[in-house]
Amino acid sequence: MRTPGRQDGDEAELIERSRKGDSAAFGVLVERYQRRVVGVAQAVVHNQDDAIELAQETFVRAYENLSKFESRSSFSTWLYRIAANLAIDFWRREGRHVVLHGEDAETEIGKLPTAQGDSFKEVSRSELSARLKQALEELTPEHRAVILLREVEGMSYDEISDVLQCPRGTVMSRLHYARTHLRKILKDVSGS
Amino acid sequence: MAECGEISVMLGAFEDSELEPNEMQEVAFHLARCESCTGILADYSTLGRNLRSISVEPKLAGFSSAVIARVERLPQPAHIRIARFFRRQMDSLGAGLAWGGAVAAAAVLTIILMTPYAEQFARKGAGSGTSVADATHEAVPAPNQIASSSGNEPTMADNDSQAVISRLESPNRSVAVWSEPRRDTTVIWLPDQP
Repeated sequence: MRTPGRQDGDEAELIERSRKGDSAAFGVLVERYQRRVVGVAQAVVHNQDDAIELAQETFVRAYENLSKFESRSSFSTWLYRIAANLAIDFWRREGRHVVLHGEDAETEIGKLPTAQGDSFKEVSRSELSARLKQALEELTPEHRAVILLREVEGMSYDEISDVLQCPRGTVMSRLHYARTHLRKILKDVSGS
Repeated sequence: MAECGEISVMLGAFEDSELEPNEMQEVAFHLARCESCTGILADYSTLGRNLRSISVEPKLAGFSSAVIARVERLPQPAHIRIARFFRRQMDSLGAGLAWGGAVAAAAVLTIILMTPYAEQFARKGAGSGTSVADATHEAVPAPNQIASSSGNEPTMADNDSQAVISRLESPNRSVAVWSEPRRDTTVIWLPDQP
């Protein structure tokens, strides 16, 4: 699932050719990163059609701003950052959720009842899947993005920190919140 | 031993192997003795597997071509437009040069192939015309100039028996002079003296 970012000569040449207006070279870069860019957008907006639209917009923005890309960060991280920003903006514009930050989020964690003991192995597959999707919907885009980038896209904490432009400590605390929240909801399902 | 409260905030990072080595050790020691935290860790692991199982692979058929179509509709910066213009011109010029080269090669080949026939034709034409010109009607340079002259000199077949004297180059009727430029030879003919 995970696609490592490539910073080889081939990629540098493709970027350079794209800067000069070679759309075919840019097409190769699109093919290379499209799946994961969609994954990043989907981690935030949690809707595949919206994620694909946002991923297209991500590549168009990237093409327009190639002259601003500096090779200090990897091209893939730069792309994912654009995707994450567009997706978070989209989510906020849609106004579906109140976004919790910093201490607010930590307070929310404290409100969650601690679930211990039983695992949720017995819950039926379809029920679990439906409940998990719903539980993800209930998370803020920041929390959902962190847990999905980690668990589905397999990004490291440093990569997530780069993409979402937040400190590594924030990544850890958001992950902790998201995991506790999802585990609690799934426990409720298995308990009922 | 660390309390469960302290350890629980590190369990996710422990699962992800994102803790410092000393923290990894601390959590590992705790887990060896704490069933509750071990259960939470197992739940995190199951949660991760479930999240991966419900993720749907996006349908990306036509995605890149749609992106490229959008990219190509974007107004291009001036320097890119200029570069593209010159690239197109160079492509056209290259094609033109290739055609020109092909035509030139064909022309050269035609000349090479046709030259013997042309020579034959020219020789026939010259043979049916004047084989021996009237020396008196010619304004001829001096014999020493004739020997080295070239340019509009008559042609002569390789075979001596077919030699054609196209021009006598001496005003003296008793002397015939002609040159054969291919062999770089000037022939002076004198009748036998009585």
